[in-house]
Amino acid sequence: MHSWLVGICDRLQNIRLVVWLVTAQYAYPFIQWTHLTGLSLWLGTTLALDFRLVGAGKRFQTAAQLSDALFTWNWVGLGIAVLGGITLFATAAVGYIDNPAFRIKLGVLLPMALAWHIFVQRKSRTWGRTPETPAVAKLAGLMEIVLWVSVATAAVWIPNY
Amino acid sequence: MLRLCEWLEQIPWIVAITNSAVLISLVWLVHYFGFFLLVGTTAVVDLRVLGASARNLKLAPLAGQLFPLAWIGLGLVIASGFIMFAGQATTFYPTAVFRIKMGMVLLALLFGMIVQRNLPVWDRAPSVPAAAKWVAFASLTLWIGAILAGLEVAAFIPGI
Repeated sequence: MHSWLVGICDRLQNIRLVVWLVTAQYAYPFIQWTHLTGLSLWLGTTLALDFRLVGAGKRFQTAAQLSDALFTWNWVGLGIAVLGGITLFATAAVGYIDNPAFRIKLGVLLPMALAWHIFVQRKSRTWGRTPETPAVAKLAGLMEIVLWVSVATAAVWIPNY
Repeated sequence: MLRLCEWLEQIPWIVAITNSAVLISLVWLVHYFGFFLLVGTTAVVDLRVLGASARNLKLAPLAGQLFPLAWIGLGLVIASGFIMFAGQATTFYPTAVFRIKMGMVLLALLFGMIVQRNLPVWDRAPSVPAAAKWVAFASLTLWIGAILAGLEVAAFIPGI
């Protein structure tokens, strides 16, 4: 299983376009840029809904309205982030799959946070009908913030291995 | 100015943070979350001014919800950015890309404040004025550019 995975990663890393991205001057930051610009949209809108569920800005609009308003750009943001993320991975795939921080991020924390996000976003329509959100919504919002912070913590740890 | 940079680099707690892999990673984490909040929320408001997002909401309440988060994000970005800068101030300060980045950030903040200040007026108008759309477009472009410039700075300065 592992050698099979390494084989795939090795091929990924040696795609001509990927090799060019790694060696060309100034190119690599553009990949990071795609990832981080996408993440700004994704996490900016995600955290905004979480904070609303926790109770910030009650007088402006309900959590349901805010969730609706942010929905499209939220997922566009994730799309851009994933595109950048896959490219970042491809540039050093063999190293990444054996990196403990990367494994925890991709294998454990990211799937958890993503699943929780989908759950929270769906539930925000019922939790967010009234200006005051129920206690369970506050807890769910807080928990999502914690989950994304943990995903990002694992991510910034990757270079330390 | 270079004297000031040298002095910054030698502040004991700055040295301690810069030399600790754990602490400097945390500073980066704060910087990332700061601009996620700042840029993400600002972008949604800009896109709303441009008519491309959140059309179910009026501009003012949407901005009322999002701008406090943008300010919190700005606070996080400044605090963490200062530590990142201070640790290698003499390297950052003369680097052209770094200056370009800071210029873009300051301009983006200026445009953001123009948006914030004029929102109530734009909200009352039957349709968003064309000038408002240009300001929002400039803000959006500058922030996206600032992220790229920031990453180019990181690529230019080894060891960060």
